[in-house]
Amino acid sequence: MGVKLLLEKAHVEGIRSYEVYRREGGYRSVEKALKTMSTDAIVDEVKKSGLRGRGGAGFPAGMKWSFIAKPEGVPRHLVCNADESEPGTFKDRYLMEFIPHLLIEGLIVSSYALGSHDTYIYIRGEYAWIVDILENAINEAKANGWLGKNILGTGFDCEIHVQRGAGAYICGEETALIESLEGKRGNPRLKPPFPAIKGLWERPTVVNNVETLASVVPIINLGGEEYAKIGVGKSTGTKLISACGNINKPGVYEIDMTISVEEFIYSDEYCGGIANGKRLKACIPGGSSVPILPANLLLKTAKGETRYMNYESLSDGGFATGSMMGSGGFIVLDEDQCVVKNTYTLARFYRHESCGQCSPCREGTGWMEKLLLRLENGQGKISDIDLLWDIQRKIEGNTICPLGDAAAWPVAAAIRHFRDEFEWHVTHAEEAQKRNYGLAHYAEPIHVPVTV
Amino acid sequence: MAFIELPIIYKSLKCVAFSLRTLREKIKKVSEQQLFKVTIDNITIEVPAGTTILNAARQIGGEVAPPAMCYYSKLQGSGGKCRTCLVEVSRGSEKDPRPMPKLVASCRTTVMDGMEVKNITSPKVIDARAGIVEFLLLNHPLDCPICDQAGECHLQDLSYEHGKEGTRYEFQKRVFKKHDLGPYIQLHMTRCILCYRCVFTADQLTDKREHGVLDRGDHSEIATFIEKNLDHDFIGNVIDVCPVGALTDKTFRFKNRVWFTKPVDAHRDCPTCSGQVQLWMRGDEVFRVTARKDEWGEVKDTTDGKPGWICNTCRFEKKHINDWVIEGPSKVNRHSVIAQGHYIGLQKPEEIMPKVMHGRAPKLLMDIHSVSEVNRTNIELSLIDGPATSKTFNHSEKTNA
Repeated sequence: MGVKLLLEKAHVEGIRSYEVYRREGGYRSVEKALKTMSTDAIVDEVKKSGLRGRGGAGFPAGMKWSFIAKPEGVPRHLVCNADESEPGTFKDRYLMEFIPHLLIEGLIVSSYALGSHDTYIYIRGEYAWIVDILENAINEAKANGWLGKNILGTGFDCEIHVQRGAGAYICGEETALIESLEGKRGNPRLKPPFPAIKGLWERPTVVNNVETLASVVPIINLGGEEYAKIGVGKSTGTKLISACGNINKPGVYEIDMTISVEEFIYSDEYCGGIANGKRLKACIPGGSSVPILPANLLLKTAKGETRYMNYESLSDGGFATGSMMGSGGFIVLDEDQCVVKNTYTLARFYRHESCGQCSPCREGTGWMEKLLLRLENGQGKISDIDLLWDIQRKIEGNTICPLGDAAAWPVAAAIRHFRDEFEWHVTHAEEAQKRNYGLAHYAEPIHVPVTV
Repeated sequence: MAFIELPIIYKSLKCVAFSLRTLREKIKKVSEQQLFKVTIDNITIEVPAGTTILNAARQIGGEVAPPAMCYYSKLQGSGGKCRTCLVEVSRGSEKDPRPMPKLVASCRTTVMDGMEVKNITSPKVIDARAGIVEFLLLNHPLDCPICDQAGECHLQDLSYEHGKEGTRYEFQKRVFKKHDLGPYIQLHMTRCILCYRCVFTADQLTDKREHGVLDRGDHSEIATFIEKNLDHDFIGNVIDVCPVGALTDKTFRFKNRVWFTKPVDAHRDCPTCSGQVQLWMRGDEVFRVTARKDEWGEVKDTTDGKPGWICNTCRFEKKHINDWVIEGPSKVNRHSVIAQGHYIGLQKPEEIMPKVMHGRAPKLLMDIHSVSEVNRTNIELSLIDGPATSKTFNHSEKTNA
C-alpha cells in the first residue's frame, strides 16, 4: 500500500458531512495556518513541498503563487479550476463528490496565503449534482466559523462562491475560465499579461486545479519538507490517477509516484490487469491530449529502463518516445482497439471544442477530423497520413492557447508510433472495416524504431 | 453635517484625481523618452517602450512589416487571433538574450531593448505563415469573381504574397444560413475569417453591440442572436474594417468593380462625423463612399487627429456629387489593382532587400531578357513609323539589313 494523503479518509462513512470530517481531523490545517503561520510562510511551505500543478501542465504551484502581483488597494482572487473536461479524467469529480470538505479546507488556507477574500470554484456545468454538495459543504463550514467574516478571530475574511460553467472544454484553460467567470464568451486571452498580474476583472488572480488546492492541506499538516519526501525527484507527494479503458478495475487511485507503470496496470491494488485476459496494446497515460504510447514504450523507456508513474519518467524521451503525466487520465487500450478510430474520436472532440478564435486551431482541427474519418472509413490515401502530420505540425505552437497543441499531439503521436496501422487502413481498406489491426509488434519487447 | 462635508470630500477627491493625473503624465513623459533598440530582419531602429513588434516593423515598412488580418491599430484589444503576423524572436532582450521558444504574434508582443526579431529572414516564419494562409483559405469560398471586396481584399493580398499556389483540402467547404443585417450591410458569413474586428468596432463606436460571435470552433459565425437589423449611426464602419468580403456595402452591391472606380478625397459638413471621406466615382457618378484608408488598409486619422470613422448618412445616403466638396484624387499606394499608376505623386518604394541581406543585392538567377529574344534590343522603337506590330519584329533582320 502506498501512502495516501487525499483519499485516506474518503471511505469513512459520512465523511461528506462536516461533523465526521472534523472528527477525522479536518480543518486542522486552517487552524495551523491562520493562527501560527504568516502568509509568506505558507507560500514557502508550498514551494518547499515541490507541489506541481495537477491540472496537466505540472507547473510548480508555489512558484505560481509567488508570482501574484500585490498592488496596493487591488483585491486578489483565487480561482479553483474544477472544469474537469479532459476526456479520461475524473479525479476531481471523485474528490469533490466524496470528500468536499478537503477542497474547502485547502481553499481557505490557499485564500489566506494569497490574500483572496472572494474565492471562486469554477465547476463544469455537467457536474450539476456536485454543485449542491459543494455549496452544502461551504454552508456547513460557514456555520462553523471557517468561512465568512473574521475567521478564527484572525481578522481574515473569506467567501467561497461556486460558479457553474456552460459546457465548454476550453473553459478549463485558465484565461478562458476567467473570461467565462466574468460572464463573457469563454475565449482564451492572449498572454502576457498573465493572470497573476491581470486576471479576474483585471485583478491579480491565481487559478489552480482542485487536486492541487486539496494537496495544500497535507502540505500544511505535514510541513513542506515532509511532503517532499513522498514521491521521487521533482514528482513529490501523491497524485490521483483516474484509470479507465480496458482494465479490470477502472477508478480513481491515489499513488505516491514511486510505482512502475507495469505495476499500476497489472497489480490488483490498482487497475488489476487488462480486462478479459487480453493483452495491452497502447495507453494514453495523462488524459486525451498527451501522446499515446505503444505497450513496449509504455512499460520501458527507449533506453530499456522501467517507466514509472511520475512526471519525469513518463516524459522520458520527449515526444519521440515518451509522453506526459498530464492530468492523470490513464486510458488503456487492449489489442482489440483501433488506434485510427481512437485518434479520430479525439480529433472529433477537439474540433467540437475549439473556441474558433485563432485560425490554425479553428480550421486545422476540422480538417484533421475529416481526414481521420476518411481513413477510418477506408477511403483514405497514403498521402493523407503525411498531410495529417503536416497539419498537426502547423497547428502546434502557433495558437493562442494550448488547445491547439492538445489537438495536435494525439494525432502526431498516433502517426509516429502506429503509422503501419494507418497505412493498413488504406492498403486493406475492406478488411479494416471488418476487423482491427490487432497487436502487431506494439507489445513485443524489442524496441520498435520510431518513425518520423 | 452631510451638506458641509460633501463638498470637502469632493474637493479632496478632485485633489487626489489631479495629483494622480499629473503623476500619470509624468510617467508617460518618462516612458516617452525611453527608447528601445530593436532589430527586425537585420534592420535596427529605435522605438518608444511599449511599441509592439508589428508597429516597429511597420515603421521600417516594406516586406519587413508582417501581414495582419485581425489586428487594427484603431481598435483596442484587437489582434492575436489570425496568427498571420507570427514572427520569430531570436533574442529576447539585452538583459535576457534567450530566444522565445515559440513564434509570437507580433501585433500583441511589445519590444524589449536589444530584441532581435526575424520575420522574412526566418524559414520557420515563412513556413508557418504559408500554413496559416492555407488554413484561412480552407473554408473560404474563393468567390472573388462575384465578391465586391475583390481588388481591395486583404485575404487576396495575403494569399498572393504568402500563400502556396494550391490547396490540399478535398472536402466540402462549410456553409452558413443566410442572415439579414438590414438595408445597408450585407453579410456573407462563408467569406468571414473571424478576425473579430467588426465586433470590436461595434463595441467601441456604438452604444450597444447588437452582433457578435455565435457558436464556437469552425462553426462559429458573426450574427445577431435573433435576426435583427444593425442600426447605429456608426455601424457602417464594420464594412471598412472587414479585411475580406464578409461585410460589404449593400448600396454598392454588384454595382461596379472597385478597380473601375476612381477614389477621390472629398468632404462635407456633417453634424455627426468629420465628413472627411473617400468617394469611389466613375465619371460624375458616386458609386460608393468609404472612410479614407492609410497604407495598411486602416482608417486614416482626420485632420484633427482622431480616427476618421464616418457616419451612416455620409456612407449610405450621400451618393450625389453635389453633396460633396471634392479635394482631389486620393493617393493610393498599396493595393495594386486600384493604384494602376494613373495618379500623380506615385513614389517608387524603397528597395529594402539589400538592407535585409546585409547590403548584398538579391542575385538574379537568370536575366530573362537576354535569353528570351522577345525584346530585340537592336530594334529602336522610337524610329519606327507608327506603332510597332509583329511585322516590325518578324522582319527586323531584313529592315536592319
